[in-house]
Amino acid sequence: MTTALHSHHKVHIGQGEHFVTDDPDVVLTTILGSCVAVCLRDPALGLGGMNHFLLPEGAGAGADAGRRYGAYAMEVLINDCLKRGAQRGRLEAKLFGGGRMFDTLKDVGVANADFAERFLRDEGIPVVGGSLRGLGGRRVQYWPSTGRALQRAVTDSHVPPPVSRPPVPVETGALELF
Amino acid sequence: MPAAAAIHTLIVDDQASMRSLIRGSLQQLGFREFREAADGEAGLRAMIAQPAHLIISDFNMPNLDGLGLLRAVRAHPPIAGAAFIMLTGRADRELVARAVQYGVNNYLVKPFTVAQLKDKLEGVFGPLT
Repeated sequence: MTTALHSHHKVHIGQGEHFVTDDPDVVLTTILGSCVAVCLRDPALGLGGMNHFLLPEGAGAGADAGRRYGAYAMEVLINDCLKRGAQRGRLEAKLFGGGRMFDTLKDVGVANADFAERFLRDEGIPVVGGSLRGLGGRRVQYWPSTGRALQRAVTDSHVPPPVSRPPVPVETGALELF
Repeated sequence: MPAAAAIHTLIVDDQASMRSLIRGSLQQLGFREFREAADGEAGLRAMIAQPAHLIISDFNMPNLDGLGLLRAVRAHPPIAGAAFIMLTGRADRELVARAVQYGVNNYLVKPFTVAQLKDKLEGVFGPLT
């Protein structure tokens, strides 16, 4: 393992984004407050990726609007892995984020963390590591090719404020059939 | 126009969570009869074994994708008349055009709301309430 000496190409995953790769030189990075990042990989292929999402405002783990948004954020990551040859039955996940931020009264991070855990349980994807909930933000690095993940606590001022999303997605499709 | 409760629906998606969300949304709209399949191939088998009035299918699936299921259904006379709603992602405009060509009745962009699902269903079946 030459990670410490190796020059890695960093790909930063912002809120609402995801990225999948099998390049051993790529490290995926993100900074999380109450958002959650799911790191997903197929260990047999050394291929995987990360997303970074926040459920819509006011949507708890049981709320359908939030679940629909979160399920879509997960689906695009899973589908990108499957398109590149990953097998659903081999996928494993590490979960990060869902922290309670100091400047918020509501603990929205818990809803995001609860959703991610429930989604992976429902889909039968094992969670093999990570760090959810707790106080404050995290800086996360993830190497999809090996599954190695590093987390560092960051102070509130370093965590970008989450972009609140409307509970109703705006995209309805440009092509009208009827 | 059939009442929602009388419409037998087949939900086809490789994600259990998405199938559950679609089922929950349909229940909110008064639908009562559901079956589920985890890919297009299983969906086609389910339709042939017991036809449904409505298929709500994802596009990206292993074995047989949503477009393949649509084509197979339309090519099989006993089930060819089923209403078919395709679930798509944001960047799938080209797919929608191909689905129209193969006889899709409507499409729904994920993540969708119950109101959007209702609109798409009413575009096919007429008013549900």
